[in-house]
Amino acid sequence: MDFSVLTGNYETFLHGFYNTILASLLGLVGSFILGTIIAVFRISQVRPLMWFGTAYVEFFRNIPLLLVVFLFYYGVSSLVGVTLDGFNAGTLGLAVYTSSFIAEAIRAGIMAVPKGQSEAARSSGLSYLQTMRYVILPQAIKLVIPPLSNQFINLVKNSSILSIVSGFDLMYFGDGIATDTFDTINTYIFVAMFYLVLTLPLSYGSRVLERKLARHD
Amino acid sequence: MLKNIELSIEEGEVVVVVGPSGSGKSTMLRCINRLETIGSGELTVNGTQLNDPKVDINKVRRDIGMVFQHFNLYPHMKVIDNITLAPTKVLGVPKKEATETAMFYLEKVGIAHKADAYPSQLSGGQQQRVAIARGLAMRPKIMLFDEPTSALDPEMVGEVLDVMKTLAREGMTMVVVTHEMGFAREVADRVVFMDQGQILEVNEPGEFFGNPREERLQTFLSRLLSH
Repeated sequence: MDFSVLTGNYETFLHGFYNTILASLLGLVGSFILGTIIAVFRISQVRPLMWFGTAYVEFFRNIPLLLVVFLFYYGVSSLVGVTLDGFNAGTLGLAVYTSSFIAEAIRAGIMAVPKGQSEAARSSGLSYLQTMRYVILPQAIKLVIPPLSNQFINLVKNSSILSIVSGFDLMYFGDGIATDTFDTINTYIFVAMFYLVLTLPLSYGSRVLERKLARHD
Repeated sequence: MLKNIELSIEEGEVVVVVGPSGSGKSTMLRCINRLETIGSGELTVNGTQLNDPKVDINKVRRDIGMVFQHFNLYPHMKVIDNITLAPTKVLGVPKKEATETAMFYLEKVGIAHKADAYPSQLSGGQQQRVAIARGLAMRPKIMLFDEPTSALDPEMVGEVLDVMKTLAREGMTMVVVTHEMGFAREVADRVVFMDQGQILEVNEPGEFFGNPREERLQTFLSRLLSH
């Protein structure tokens, strides 16, 4: 294997890798928070919230990620007049798209916590929100870790969508290096390795966490 | 669906509700802290009209402890945290004080040495005693028991009933749905018989078991006692 592509473009690769990490972290945190809120909306007794949550999930889950990113890249500037650069539009699109899947995973987790748990909590005088926070969500999160880690791994890989809107991520620079050096195969092999550096620990970590949390069941 | 429910329970009274499965015993019990929606009629608990949808139900529930058939302990929390959760979050009791109260009630139900265990490490009888301590830690005015021994191994029924008997003797207002006729006979001030969503007979235990008036209750008792 020829390492000259890597050694010759080391800083460019790292620059892209850094942006991919940043987009992934922002996307991860953003999609988790958004997804949790939407999941709570979807199971809410308040009708408008439930409708909003359902519409959100069905809309963003059922159109291509690329279109969601375009929505933020082109759409937001023409609708609201605020122009987002490729990195911001891409990361935002990624977070919103992934949050619809995360909302479904979390909702399923919440529904899987036995009804007696919320009855015990509510009958002791805890409010709905306190019951969610102290009793239901901590149990739901355990059930949700495997599907959630799948979503996070997908998110890291999907961050390559930033390359389409000039988001200066790993894939974007990889494309550039491949075009410049004509060493397409080696370039993309290294790009793939950089992605693996992120995704493999993620899937290993989720397995460890799952085992740790399952201790008392 | 309940109908023709006319019952009033005095402070300090122990009322045991019996009847066949699906007779509405649990539904009636769960109306008392409004775990069931009240469609029509009036229900007053501690002076509050529960059928009024505007009532602050969380406030009413502070004074009503509940023990469930399947214990419903929080599996992700230690025993001690199961008990201190509601006092600290609902009543705002400081953590230290809540822990002392929790230990007092764990002592009372004879299980203080398991304070740092998780519910899954306890037997069914121990879990149910923790659940009772959890209810008591809120210092409620009323305790509701929804078939507290139905999910237990036969050997563990006694230890839970003993705790309940002690409570009754100390003057706690209790409503108990159960199939334990021995408990009803020994502890109840009044026994209520329900069938098909209605209260058919209410009487003190001696008369209830010795001289039942309703034919349906006579059949029910004869089937229970004949084996």
